[in-house]
Amino acid sequence: MKNPLLRIVHFSIENPRKVMALTVVITVILLTQLPGITVDTDPENMLPADEPVRLAHREIKKEFSLYDSFVVGVVDDTSEEGVFRPETLERIARITDEILKIDGVVAKDVISPLTTDDIQAVDGVLTIEPLMGRRIPDQETAERIRGRALENPILKNLLVSGDGKAVNLFVPIKEKKLSYRVAKEIESIVERHGGGEEYYITGLPVVEETFGVEMFRQMGVSAPLAGLLIFILMLFFFRSVVLVASSMVVAMITVIWIMGFLVGTGFTVHIMSSMIPIFLMPIAVLDSIHILSEFSDRFPSVKDKKETLLMVMKELFTPMLFTSITSAAGFASLVLTPIPPVRVFGGFVAAGIAVAWLLTMAFIPAYIMLLPERFLKRLHRRSKGSVLYRAQEYLGWLSVRHARGIAVVCLVVFAVSVYGITKTRVNDNPTRWFHEGHPLRVAERVLNKLFGGTYMAYLVVEGRDGVMKTPGMLEYVDRLQGELSSLDVVGKTTSVVDVVKKISFELNDEDPAYNRVPDTSRKVAQYLFLYEMTGDPDDLYHLVDPGYSKLNVWIQLRRGDNQDMKAVEAFVYNYMRDNPPPAEVETKWAGLTYLNVVWQEKMVRGMLKSLAGGGVVVFLMMVFIFRSPLWGFISIVPLSITIAFIYGLIGMVGKDYDMPVAVLSSLTLGISVDFAIHLLQRTRQIRRESATWEETVERVFDEPVRAIIRNMVVISMGFAPLFFSPLVPYQTVGFFFAAIMAVSGLTTLLVLPALMVILRRPLKL
Amino acid sequence: MKKRSVLYGLVLIVCGVLVPLQALALSADEIVNKANLAYYYAGSDGAAKVRMTITDTRGRKRLRELTMLRYDVEDGGRQKFYVYFHRPADVEGMVYMVWKNPERDDDRWLYIPAIDLIKRVSQRDKRSSFAGSNFTYEDVSGRLPGDDVHELIGEDTLDGRETYVLKNIPRDKDLVEFSFYKTWIDKENFLPLKGEYYDKAGRLARIITVEKIENVQDIPTVVKARAKAVEGGETVIEFMDVRYNVGLKERIFSERYLRRPPRRWIR
Repeated sequence: MKNPLLRIVHFSIENPRKVMALTVVITVILLTQLPGITVDTDPENMLPADEPVRLAHREIKKEFSLYDSFVVGVVDDTSEEGVFRPETLERIARITDEILKIDGVVAKDVISPLTTDDIQAVDGVLTIEPLMGRRIPDQETAERIRGRALENPILKNLLVSGDGKAVNLFVPIKEKKLSYRVAKEIESIVERHGGGEEYYITGLPVVEETFGVEMFRQMGVSAPLAGLLIFILMLFFFRSVVLVASSMVVAMITVIWIMGFLVGTGFTVHIMSSMIPIFLMPIAVLDSIHILSEFSDRFPSVKDKKETLLMVMKELFTPMLFTSITSAAGFASLVLTPIPPVRVFGGFVAAGIAVAWLLTMAFIPAYIMLLPERFLKRLHRRSKGSVLYRAQEYLGWLSVRHARGIAVVCLVVFAVSVYGITKTRVNDNPTRWFHEGHPLRVAERVLNKLFGGTYMAYLVVEGRDGVMKTPGMLEYVDRLQGELSSLDVVGKTTSVVDVVKKISFELNDEDPAYNRVPDTSRKVAQYLFLYEMTGDPDDLYHLVDPGYSKLNVWIQLRRGDNQDMKAVEAFVYNYMRDNPPPAEVETKWAGLTYLNVVWQEKMVRGMLKSLAGGGVVVFLMMVFIFRSPLWGFISIVPLSITIAFIYGLIGMVGKDYDMPVAVLSSLTLGISVDFAIHLLQRTRQIRRESATWEETVERVFDEPVRAIIRNMVVISMGFAPLFFSPLVPYQTVGFFFAAIMAVSGLTTLLVLPALMVILRRPLKL
Repeated sequence: MKKRSVLYGLVLIVCGVLVPLQALALSADEIVNKANLAYYYAGSDGAAKVRMTITDTRGRKRLRELTMLRYDVEDGGRQKFYVYFHRPADVEGMVYMVWKNPERDDDRWLYIPAIDLIKRVSQRDKRSSFAGSNFTYEDVSGRLPGDDVHELIGEDTLDGRETYVLKNIPRDKDLVEFSFYKTWIDKENFLPLKGEYYDKAGRLARIITVEKIENVQDIPTVVKARAKAVEGGETVIEFMDVRYNVGLKERIFSERYLRRPPRRWIR
């Protein structure tokens, strides 16, 4: 026996019952771990807990008492008045009162017409009081409330839409883990007290919560559905339920082991790890398809289970070991990325590949050994004439006869793809994880059209104590805000400067000339003290710290796209560089929209590094396996073309390079090299056994190519159910699975033979 | 005859013991009225230097120093307050004046020295924070006894002092942030020693405790109190140089004196 690992196969052929029993026991143990599953949908966890940016984000949130908020938009399009009708406003007041009572809601920081102060001088009397009361006697009162809100630059587009027809409530919650319950309570309050007007409930806590729920559903529906489709497709190829079942069982057991292990070791299931079953299933099926393919082709002539198995396993052992190692290496390379959920994902998928390999080596032989012979009677060689055979022959003819043409076409495709890659747009947006028509997307679209934007970023400007009371600094921030507001992506900005300006305006009988920062620090201090004395001081301390050394500019973005956030960040950086502030200050960013940018950047760089690292490792392995740099080189050609093509396509069609897309690169790396290994390894093996190159070609384009085509078809079609998932990352994965399998399969079958023809001499074929 | 006289005597004894007890037992409303007078209407006028130390949820401290002058137009009724801010330094000279009117909205003025402007201030919400502290305006100037329904719910001993415990439920719940509050009122001097405010959902939200009482001109006076928000943050208020019946003139409590603070009282 050449390889000690091959003993596993022999052991299970000799002791099938023991292997079965052991598998069942382990599976049951790990199955019991699954109920302990905890889902983590917090995008913050894309960064390690001790990441400086994340720490700063938390610090700023604490410093200015900022919380994650629900957004409840109230819209009425049926009339000119919108929601500004007495009965509608009274309903909103009732709803607000009920929301204030919910356990877990930070009642004092709820932003609503009922609780948020408006500043106004009415007949010379300065009034700081909530925009509206609970009783709205007539239409006139409702109109007055609307008028006041629209005249207050702080409230306009935040609380009341620019067109004066809709109202927004911001409901902060103490802890994210309360989101689900609070969301349900808000929904039921709206249900009970709402009227004809529309209520849109969104905000990050809802997005996360809904995502978590959908994620579970996807794990429970999409993955098994994909499994079922794979089963049907395999049945079509192998016509034997019992044989195909073995492969499905391997896939299922692999998933149970890995998920059980993941949950049992205390990891939370993040959006990435929820996809582990979907990634593991095809990979687990892959190896067994090769075995089943060869077994069902040979058994009818050999007619002995044990002998056929040994024959098949002997031939397939090396390529299967290598393909598993390379696939595992591809995913293991993800452990090098700086994003914890991706690391967990990569690590566990790599472990899953090892498990799948082990099961394929041990379980499949044991299963076949225990199978009564009569089940295998129906296996017979398929007639030459079937579509599959014709396709194989055509491929063989094409690649061998038109080797040079194929090489040229490939170079062109590669060049175009590289151009496409240069057009890549790195972007992600958690809201876009839902498809267009999802209620959350609808709410997001409606509210961002009407209001200043539901995506909040915070720019904290920090200097010495008291500097944020100086007119120079406030004027500077005012100009910066003015410039920011002129950007398309920014819907609205708010800072303490707006409060100071509003007080100045109202104290001076609403004279527009005074709608500005006053000229002395003393005035600023007294205006703000006035606000603190008469309004809600907590409102002030969301915008400035009590020592007046820090100021917090709220920036509302209309979209959660990272690109938008990056543009804003770059704009502020350039502005402050070109227009230095009057005193020395430091700036810091916070807000989830900003955190997304940070982890995405890390992801792109991290993925590139891990992809490059994985690529090098795979190449070295190939060189080692084939003991030849040239063979190593041609073996990674299909994979390089596939990666270039897929990512070129993404760049070309303008699909954002987001997290699932980034992670798929490792899948491509791991899987597309599989086909190459199988084809090259078998070609070399067959070449040794055959007299001529022509005979080799003919034999290679028989069983080995058939196994590859079966694999390609089963897996690329098996993931069609994912297209119909309501979660976009799943759709992306489904599409790319199919594309990766199809492209890498085709390039392997066309390019490798072509290259072998062209390089026949140096390859010693 | 003898029997009857025994019975008669018994009735007399029973009445002799119970009737004075009956007279001593106060109704909840009476307790609240007495407390209102003891706490907010001590003497016919008063002056005090007040220091407030506000600690926010993050432990950051802010200091307020002010002089408060009070003039009672009528005991238990109309009152006038003059509040002069000393610190923070950049607001020195700001004055806040209130005419408390039991029968209608209070009149309020604010003087902003930096722009030499007197502004009438409307503040329908008397439950809002007093100068950024954890005390409300009503905590400082008094809440009208008639605004709540009072109920005597028990008796308690606080730091060795016998107290009445009252539950107070607002008549108009829309005007206040609480659903009810409890007060502990000293049986002897009728000063409130403790208050607990419950939010709309019935959760304890804020606790006020009196920490030090001194006799000033023989009038028991609260000189230190603490308001603590359950969610975090608290304010300690200290009254220094408390003086009663100093002979404040009512005319001081007018717009004219906002620009010209009475130096005799404010130093």
